[in-house]
Amino acid sequence: MLDIAYETVVAVVGITAILASIGVIVCASPIYSALYLIGNMTCLALLFLLYNAEFIAAVQIIVYAGAVMILFLFIIALLGAKKEERDTSSLQIPMALSFVVLLFGELLMAMTVGKTNPVEGKFSVDFIQQVGSARAIGVELFSRHLIPFELASALLLVATVGIICLAKFPLSPVKRRTR
Amino acid sequence: MGTDFILFVSASVFCIGATGFMIRKNPLVMFMSVELMLNSVNLLLVGFSKELNSLDGQIFALLIMTVAAAEVVVGLAIILTIFRTRHDLDVDNINTLKG
Repeated sequence: MLDIAYETVVAVVGITAILASIGVIVCASPIYSALYLIGNMTCLALLFLLYNAEFIAAVQIIVYAGAVMILFLFIIALLGAKKEERDTSSLQIPMALSFVVLLFGELLMAMTVGKTNPVEGKFSVDFIQQVGSARAIGVELFSRHLIPFELASALLLVATVGIICLAKFPLSPVKRRTR
Repeated sequence: MGTDFILFVSASVFCIGATGFMIRKNPLVMFMSVELMLNSVNLLLVGFSKELNSLDGQIFALLIMTVAAAEVVVGLAIILTIFRTRHDLDVDNINTLKG
């Protein structure tokens, strides 16, 4: 009984995530796209919770739905939420759709392959519930994955310096060459 | 159901994100589509992490979130700089580097 309820919740949240992602790309105004993207990220955080990844769910809400989307909304407020006009004459949309349908078919075919030589770890659901998700991830991150963690901190520092360079020094307007 | 459903959701969100990146002309919405694709990969990693009783997938997801945050910040700064110099946000019109 509990199993059926769990499966139902997973199915509903997953389908809501797909619908919200469709909303991101069909809305004409970027502000609605941003709101749909927040909905999509919340659905993904719920799925992470349902898949026993509590720490990743919290990070998803704080970093993505919090920080990144606030940044997006500030930029939209700064640049103005203008609706984009679409030209239906170009071949861009049919080409993109045919490519994506092909890609989706390939991904579905790749799903049917099944597991190829999986490597099982020792972190079962019971073990993680015993020690806690954040603690288990912290121990793994600071022991086996220490160098990627330090490289990520260096990456954030480089990004900070880069955006200060981009934002601080004013650029002169580009003059079009007439020919 | 189980992992197959997560694979389906992840593939669908990835394909929708790819579509949005190719058919939209507003760079902000294109960036949001890239975020969709990165998020779908996170979902896949967490699903397999539970399936295989391993935490490596969750740590990968954490690092992907770091890279995505840095990428969004730099990308939005570039969009802002383009808007300050050109006052136009259509990616089809940004062709100054064309020879």
